[in-house]
Amino acid sequence: MTGYKRVSGDAIEYEVFARKTRVEPLHQVGSVVAPDADLAMAYARATYDEERWCEMAIVRKDDVIHLWSPGEG
Amino acid sequence: MSLPDLVLSLADNKQMLGLRYAEWATRAPSLEADIAAAAMGLDDLGHSRVLYGCLEPLGADPRGPQRESDPASLSNLAYFDEPWSEWSQFVAANAILDTAFTAMIEACVGGSVEVLQHRLRKMLMEERYHFLHGRSWLRSGIDSGPLDRAWYEAIEWFGPPDGETATLHREGKLSMGPADLRARVEEQLEMKAPRVTIDWKTWDPVRRRSGAGAVDQHTFAMLRGLEEKKYAPPSAAKQAAS
Repeated sequence: MTGYKRVSGDAIEYEVFARKTRVEPLHQVGSVVAPDADLAMAYARATYDEERWCEMAIVRKDDVIHLWSPGEG
Repeated sequence: MSLPDLVLSLADNKQMLGLRYAEWATRAPSLEADIAAAAMGLDDLGHSRVLYGCLEPLGADPRGPQRESDPASLSNLAYFDEPWSEWSQFVAANAILDTAFTAMIEACVGGSVEVLQHRLRKMLMEERYHFLHGRSWLRSGIDSGPLDRAWYEAIEWFGPPDGETATLHREGKLSMGPADLRARVEEQLEMKAPRVTIDWKTWDPVRRRSGAGAVDQHTFAMLRGLEEKKYAPPSAAKQAAS
């Protein structure tokens, strides 16, 4: 296994969103780190598949635009 | 070789792939990859159960009693005979062999055999994530040894150009023949297979491999439940014996 970097070493963080029914909004269920979106999708599905979600989506954490953060509002 | 033989080989290979994936559930390069290895292992073990369940409806279950005592009676690729010692072996199996098995499942789903059309369809959805995992790790670069070996065994597993896989395709039972299956894997992975020369005279059409050998004894004992018995309390062993 030498020569391989742990994925978290130079990876991107993705937030994972899901919902169980069409009538409820997507909500954040967790996050994964991966070097690209393909692997992030595979990791999100593997990590958070214990529920019967009707929809799951991932978003790069860096792409989230904060209006304000805790303590700034 | 017949369609049940092909489905049995697919089932045996999925079972072994699932077990080998699961062995890496605490050894992969990241926590996420550990979890993915465990999840993909569970998926493939589940797929093997579905495939074994298709044998009876197909009309002729080719499993004989020798499967209880002879590991060489299992129709798995040589790639799964021994546990993998390198992450490269995992990635090559994940990218090439798993995708090759999925291509065959696609050929079954697109073919004319109803039980396969219906029961195997869901596997394709789950396999999408195996494919994304394998392709992404493959793009990060791995040793050529396991990669070339995986390609060789995949092409060998698809069968000779004029063999029974090709016949099943002509009959419409499979929607793809050996050349189409190989092209499908190449298209999916956006790469060309290395040039391989296969001596089809030594190819075993039931095990779908040329090389002798079989799964290691520990794994074979585990498959038969013998390893589990080692941990049973003496009272349970006595009960089982009576």
